[in-house]
Amino acid sequence: MIVKFIKDGISRRRFLGSTASLAGLSALSAGLPGAALAAGKVVKIGFLAPLTGPVAAWGKPGLDGCQIWAEWVNNAGGIKIGGEGHKVEFIGYDNEYDPAKARAGATKLIREDGVKFVMMLGGDTWPGAQPVADKTGMLFSTLLPSDLGPDTSTLIAPAEVHPIYNVTGVEWLAETKPDLKTAVMCAQDDALGLPSVATYLAAFEAAGIQMQGDPLLFDPATTDFAPVVTKLLSTNPQIVCLDTCYSDYVHPITEQLFQQGFKGQIISCTADFYDQMIAKTSKEFMEGFIFQFPDFDDPALNASNINFQNPNGFFEEYNKRHPGEWGAVSWEYASIMDLWKAAAEKADSVEPDAVLAAMTKSGKGDHAFGRADWWGKDLFGIDHALVGDWPVVAIEGGKARIKGFKSIPDWYAKHGELLKKHMAAYGQMWNQRG
Amino acid sequence: MPRGLAWLLLALVLVALPHGLSFSQQEILVFLTINVLLVASYRLLTLTGEWSLGHVVIMGVGAYASALLSKRLGIYVPVAMLLGAGVAALVAYILSFPLFRMKGFYFLIGSFAAGEVIRLLWKRFRDPFGGPKGLKRIEGMPDLDLGVYALDFFEPITYYYFAAAVVAFCLWIMWRIERSPVGLTFHAIHWQDKLAEASGVNVRAYRTRAFVLASGFAGFSGALLAHYIGTINPNSFDVEQMVFVLTWAIVGGTATFYGPILGCIVLTVLNEIVLREMGFEQMRPLVYGLIMILSVLFLPKGLESVVQRVLSARKTG
Repeated sequence: MIVKFIKDGISRRRFLGSTASLAGLSALSAGLPGAALAAGKVVKIGFLAPLTGPVAAWGKPGLDGCQIWAEWVNNAGGIKIGGEGHKVEFIGYDNEYDPAKARAGATKLIREDGVKFVMMLGGDTWPGAQPVADKTGMLFSTLLPSDLGPDTSTLIAPAEVHPIYNVTGVEWLAETKPDLKTAVMCAQDDALGLPSVATYLAAFEAAGIQMQGDPLLFDPATTDFAPVVTKLLSTNPQIVCLDTCYSDYVHPITEQLFQQGFKGQIISCTADFYDQMIAKTSKEFMEGFIFQFPDFDDPALNASNINFQNPNGFFEEYNKRHPGEWGAVSWEYASIMDLWKAAAEKADSVEPDAVLAAMTKSGKGDHAFGRADWWGKDLFGIDHALVGDWPVVAIEGGKARIKGFKSIPDWYAKHGELLKKHMAAYGQMWNQRG
Repeated sequence: MPRGLAWLLLALVLVALPHGLSFSQQEILVFLTINVLLVASYRLLTLTGEWSLGHVVIMGVGAYASALLSKRLGIYVPVAMLLGAGVAALVAYILSFPLFRMKGFYFLIGSFAAGEVIRLLWKRFRDPFGGPKGLKRIEGMPDLDLGVYALDFFEPITYYYFAAAVVAFCLWIMWRIERSPVGLTFHAIHWQDKLAEASGVNVRAYRTRAFVLASGFAGFSGALLAHYIGTINPNSFDVEQMVFVLTWAIVGGTATFYGPILGCIVLTVLNEIVLREMGFEQMRPLVYGLIMILSVLFLPKGLESVVQRVLSARKTG
């Protein structure tokens, strides 16, 4: 409304209540399906991520995974609240990785669709949605903990602690291949690339691996990676680190490394669609490529400490519906939903504040890869990142295989100061942002 | 219909419009209103015949300047917006020295290069520009306490009225400029620059004038955007956004004042409302592109030609 009566201002609850009432009223008056669904005990979850454009690979596969998750949960009776099963419905909004559209999308999901939880990729789009989160008190999740800050208490990062888990790959590499002592790194110069650069620098320093020059930061608009790779290889490094490059960069850089005759070790945060990279290079070249995101048909995910429900079945179903589209985020949003569902059932409520309280109460949570801690005050100003073990994945015989799980908190206990030093150098500490 | 009555009717429609929209459509309406100012300012620049690829970056200059002035120096937001527009105009004036040594295609490429330099500076200097992540938590328009009522500019309707009033005023100024001797000289330079020069017109000075004025208005649109969404980053003003502005101008047509505005409104409504509502959430770029190709094929003179045909049919009929 253009005007509001002053004196006591507008509270979050009142704001949510009034807008949800309006949304409900309009649905009733229009006889829309939303009204009928509400009567059938449906919990709506917002999915606010890039579904089109260059960053869609980290949004759309997540929504596809969530649809499978919802079908499985709904077929099993839904979420149990107040002794009754509630079905889950995902409502997607394509924010095109644009903060303005993220704001419009958050407004739609919360004030029109009446969602109870909003999942985002985060990054550039989170600041656009942040005022809406602050105003409404809605519970949001991000895949990028660098979005976290003490100013917003309703944002959580329960799936991945990007980029902190990258330390596990370097640690594993140092343990299994101690003869590798020199590295170079390249990354796109953006919000995703820089904190990852700081993390890899800390991890290499902790592992006693020497950087041969400063990380090579390229503009995100770069399309020709031949000069980038030529410069990287000019110092004859043993390790080439691809940081957290988008798959649009990982593929051409890897191809260039192959074409320019690199014979050493490659380490990367992601290797989405690695089968295509193998097709462009060779199985031998890609052998031993290290990254951090497993295929979920991996036998190691059947261990008893893994909390993701039926990972092998999920992978099979995903590939049946979306062949060749499995990527780093295919399971992540679904794993967040596992955590949210458990918290909602524990709280016996789907209201954002109740779910958040139930989720974080004990200081621990069931992360997809095992029991984990709510952590992050040092780096993010708030303990809203769920941190535990993370897998190290290597390509063997053309297939991604988990080589082991490493503990992020254990690494941080030993080398936390290094990480803070490099994060601060790149202006990535929470109190240095924006 | 008398012209005065038509304007009154339009004003009433614009006042009533947000009340018929959903919350998210109101948000889109705010962005649309800001983009109307951007595309109209772009047309002002093109009046002299020069097309720029740096206009969105200049919008960003206004956004960054206004955001920094309010964040760092605590300047009252509306004043910071005006100063942001002034900074954008000033940067355009400085850029005009190298850029107007070029014409036509070379100016186009030069403006793109200049824009990229500015964008890279935003990325390179984390202090004060925030680097690749840009600026966050930019002060919004302060709530206005009118005694009985308080205007909350977080609300899209309130901000829409504010932005619409500002944009309407800016459009009126641009309209007046185009109709003034200065505007007529812009047109003369566009169509006969040699003849204009031979008649004593300082072509370069007039091109600079159009560039600076258009940049000032673009900077203002950037400031309006920054203080609404509360965050800006270098990607918000990249060449992809510039392509959208060009598309609005080309699909709408640039022969008339309203052509680019029409293009902006029609394409935004199509992309952000119609296609989303029709369930083409993930196929929008495909459908949007297809519609653009069809419109260029079948409406080569832009959407404004449809309006002109309707108006001339009514006159002759």
